[in-house]
Amino acid sequence: MKTLLIGEYREGKLLDSTYELFGFAGQLGAETALLLVGSETQLPAYGGTLYLADAAACGEYNPDLHKKLVLEAVQKENPDYIVFVHSSYGWDLAPRVAAALKIAQVSEVVALADGGFEVGCCNAKMRRTVKPASARAVVTIQAGAFPVLQPGGSPAVQKLTSDGGAALEFVGYEAAEKKDVDLAKAEVIVSAGRGVGKKDNIPVIAALAAALGGELGASRPVVDAEWVSHSHQVGTTGQTVSPKLYVACGISGAIQHLAGMKKSDFIIAINKDKDAPIGEIADVLVVADVMQFVPALTAKLAR
Amino acid sequence: MKLLVCIKQVPDMESRFKPDAAGVWFAETDLAFRMNEYDEYAVEQAVQLREKLGDGCELTVLSIGPDRVVEAIKKALAMGCDNAAHIQDPAASGKDPWQIASIIAAYAKDKGFDLIFTGMQSQDRGSAQVGVTVAELLGIASTSTIVGFDYDNGTITAKRELEGGIKGVVKMKTPALVTCQLGLNIPRYPTLPNIMKAKKKEIAAIPVADLLNADSLATTTSFHPPAKKGGGIVLEGDVADQVDKLIAILKDKTAVLR
Amino acid sequence: MEATRQIYWNVGHGVVIPMYILAGAAFGYLAWGFWQRLPIWRQGKPLDRWDRYDERVKRMLCEVFSQVKIFRVTDGGVFHALFFWSFLTLFVGTLLVMFQADFFTPLLQLNLLSGEFYKAFSLVLDIAGGLAIVMLAGLFIRRFVVQPRGLEIVRDDYIVLQLLFAILVTGFLIEGARMAATELQQNPELARFSPGGLLIGQLFTTMTPGTLLVTHKILWWVHFALVLGFFCAIPYTKLRHIFTTSVNAFLAPFEAKGYIATINMEDDTVEQFGAAAITDLTWKDIFDADACTSCKRCQDRCPAYATDKPLSPMKIVHQIGELAEGNPAGNLIETVSQDALWACTTCRACQDICPADIEHVNKILEMRRSLTLMDGAFPGDEVRTAINNIEVNGNPFGLAYASRADWAEGLDVKVMAQDADVDILYFAGCFASFDKRNQAVARNFITICNAAGIKVGILGKEEKCCGEPPRKLGNEYLYQMTANENIEVIKGYNVKKIVTTCPHCFNTLARDYQDLGFDVPVEHYSTYLKALLDGDRLKLTPEPFNFTYHDSCYIGRYMDIIDQPRAILAQAGGAIIEMAQNGYDSFCCSAGGGRIIAEEKLGSKISEARIKMATDTGAPLLVSNCPFCLTMFEDGIKTGGAEGQIRVRDLAEIVAERIEL
Repeated sequence: MKTLLIGEYREGKLLDSTYELFGFAGQLGAETALLLVGSETQLPAYGGTLYLADAAACGEYNPDLHKKLVLEAVQKENPDYIVFVHSSYGWDLAPRVAAALKIAQVSEVVALADGGFEVGCCNAKMRRTVKPASARAVVTIQAGAFPVLQPGGSPAVQKLTSDGGAALEFVGYEAAEKKDVDLAKAEVIVSAGRGVGKKDNIPVIAALAAALGGELGASRPVVDAEWVSHSHQVGTTGQTVSPKLYVACGISGAIQHLAGMKKSDFIIAINKDKDAPIGEIADVLVVADVMQFVPALTAKLAR
Repeated sequence: MKLLVCIKQVPDMESRFKPDAAGVWFAETDLAFRMNEYDEYAVEQAVQLREKLGDGCELTVLSIGPDRVVEAIKKALAMGCDNAAHIQDPAASGKDPWQIASIIAAYAKDKGFDLIFTGMQSQDRGSAQVGVTVAELLGIASTSTIVGFDYDNGTITAKRELEGGIKGVVKMKTPALVTCQLGLNIPRYPTLPNIMKAKKKEIAAIPVADLLNADSLATTTSFHPPAKKGGGIVLEGDVADQVDKLIAILKDKTAVLR
Repeated sequence: MEATRQIYWNVGHGVVIPMYILAGAAFGYLAWGFWQRLPIWRQGKPLDRWDRYDERVKRMLCEVFSQVKIFRVTDGGVFHALFFWSFLTLFVGTLLVMFQADFFTPLLQLNLLSGEFYKAFSLVLDIAGGLAIVMLAGLFIRRFVVQPRGLEIVRDDYIVLQLLFAILVTGFLIEGARMAATELQQNPELARFSPGGLLIGQLFTTMTPGTLLVTHKILWWVHFALVLGFFCAIPYTKLRHIFTTSVNAFLAPFEAKGYIATINMEDDTVEQFGAAAITDLTWKDIFDADACTSCKRCQDRCPAYATDKPLSPMKIVHQIGELAEGNPAGNLIETVSQDALWACTTCRACQDICPADIEHVNKILEMRRSLTLMDGAFPGDEVRTAINNIEVNGNPFGLAYASRADWAEGLDVKVMAQDADVDILYFAGCFASFDKRNQAVARNFITICNAAGIKVGILGKEEKCCGEPPRKLGNEYLYQMTANENIEVIKGYNVKKIVTTCPHCFNTLARDYQDLGFDVPVEHYSTYLKALLDGDRLKLTPEPFNFTYHDSCYIGRYMDIIDQPRAILAQAGGAIIEMAQNGYDSFCCSAGGGRIIAEEKLGSKISEARIKMATDTGAPLLVSNCPFCLTMFEDGIKTGGAEGQIRVRDLAEIVAERIEL
């Protein structure tokens, strides 16, 4: 089985998520080739074939052109699967490749399944097994679902030189809002989710964070509702964290949030819903009303 | 100027999902339905643009599905769409993104839409494919996951939401398609005069057979709840008990309380 | 000597014709003054308040002459009532003199004002006059010296007080002068029946007869001029309330308390829903501004005003009047302000206490209707979310509608879809169905019914929000949609009687739904349980406890259910320590008017204010009978730091614990 992996490169850097593609290929037991629109100065630690296009010339975000580059590599490699990370780059580019080749695309795969792929659905509450009907298929993998695997070595570079495709002009990046909280370095994070109920209840969660010597985090809906500032947001559009202890209060476990904190060493979830998706990755699930449990815990810790 | 917004009616995500008889999708009993949340941002943005462009601009809303989707269509009309196309398909949930995109492209191809708005993904299936695929089938420019939108005389300036809170700014010319993300706008609550006007707006009913021209490229073989991960401790019962047990676990399994 | 007096003594009968002409002119001026206000009132939409004419007249006469509403607040109320009766007596006395002089004497040769009758007449009038002066002094001291908070002093107050004082004083001066000349020496036994005149008369005893006569004449004309001035001033000053406030007692609605007009959704000619301008209100709404005497009793009782929110019911009434007169095209909602409009909890304390029968609440609701239905505005994003949840899942929490009956698991109650042969349908409502604290109330209610042998059914997942919070926030469309769905389901089961533990569901199903063609009898569990106890179907083993009781707005003021819950709690063994503000004077918990789904962002917390009132009684337990009150008080106890000091529980919980086994 052959896979063509599509790496990610942004703001002049090769993204680590690229190595998750190797983790996926490893589980499949498939051969790999890698395509990257990046730079010769940042070659991935990989010993196989690397189809490389220069990001400075092609643009970091130029879907039409990147699509052509991928198709060029597909022609040469003849892979069974063309694999992207399900990221803002991947979910934008993958359907273009699939449409051009008129092949199936399976999105946001979380695991391999019997003859197919396991993907999440219904807000991550349920799962589906999907089987491509075409011989070749495009696959996007969920960030964090597959292990990071650095194959090691130096790639055999094949330069790609497709040109054209300027239906879209990339103007540039806009920096994220300044952070007054650096969650990436925190050892303990206690996060508030929608289940906290209202803005007035945030101090209760912050109190627990303080009692545990940690920082206050938040899920996206809480930030959108302006109960806390964006600097506390944990998740794909916030910060990705990996503290020693992560306490999720009233967070159901939407995938975007999980992706941001999955790698925490020890995860405690407090939620009144026993079936909340976060229960899947939590080491301990406390089935309780957040506003009843958290104050009691904080009080006990104070003694 | 002609605008199109594509919406999907999905079940409310608070519902408890159970596999249907065939075991390949959810059973529809006891489900409350609503417009896909991402499509609400799409409708709102389309309506805002339509209002900005005024007379001479026409906004059509399209949805595929059984009769119940008319409710979502009516909401879009009440928010400000001018007319609607209901692609009648009682078996829409059994079609894959490729087929859905083909149906939409077949509908749109001879109509000369300058701009198409869709949500970035649906809350139930969540494959995030249909929008961009439609653009590819129509051969028009597209970009996804926008949280900022501006239109000026044929040029769209959009802000894509990237990981880590960074945004990517993109420009393209019409005809084009955008997929909309949370944070783009706050969908308006339809006013009563608009709800009443919506009752008179045209909803063209088109049988899906008229537009379907593609076979499915992928099939769902199973719809099931996630396997319970073993090893996770579940604490239930009296709050004081739970507190004690949790503290014991923290002391045992982590270094936090030492 | 004869007990009578010569009418027109000293001034002569020559005054009669000029007097009537001038009086006629003054009345004409008065009438014209009100006539000029007609176009202002007419700017409002039509409203029929002329039906049941006899009842209206009777009600007006009763209210005005008994001053019963004035007495509700004794501070100022006693003064006004006594002043009113005194002045009225003087007016009637003057009319009697007029009849005597110009009718009885010339036409019938009858002298009514003589003998014992005249003695009584004179005494009563003197007492009235004296009382009037004392009460007027009291009112003056209250307004100008004590200066109660929020009581404005305006130009009219100076004019009215001085005018009335002058009229009363000159009246006594004239009497004194007349008696000094004709009675003090000549008929001292009669003079005793005019104690005021007797006293004042002493001032004139040193005057020469000539001076006295001239002085008397001058005083007479001055007094007459002041009285004419009084009539002329009526339409242009606060004195207009003599007419406008009395008429408002005639114009008051007959509909049940809390009645709001049901918008006809089929009428697609309507372009404006709710009130955005003066012309969208009814003529009665504009007239209310004229009936208002700025007594500020509504403001004093408004829970929002008491906690520093920008809402004052009185101010809104004034703003409407000012716009109607000065700037009818002005933006009504901007003038009143959204913050003020959204702050109302529809507790009805304002309307309940208003002595002028002003209808405050529906003005606010009509403006909310415009905000919601025309502008899609919400007091906050959390309300938008809750409204959306009601649309999708039939409850403001956004929880799956299919789980609405989960609370009843394990209880002896079936959903109607399974078994519709029941004694009563229990309409649980959103909070009892989904909110953990309130599910206890629902369960206890079922337990009580089981014990009484009542077969209860519930709609379960077929039940939807009754629609009250959306309706009170102005969303008539969502209200009618969800209400009609409920009505269809209930009618389909041929329900004979509905009982609910929520006062808001109760009011909505029992009253609001009638306009939608629903007439199934609905009862609140407080009266239902009372009936069960009275009929011996339910027996309690009393267990003593001390408590204070909160009359929820929608049970007390709206439905007049004050005694039954107290009786039940007494039977349960309770010893009540009443809060100062109880019964019709109860202070809202803050969650009415749809505010249960809104966050309280301005001022201080109303629920904490009420909890303080409860803890002030020293009772360890607060009992209520409404899911909103229970929720707000649990919150208020926590945030107000009263945990450990007081507990709040529902009536059903108390009763269920004491069922005789």
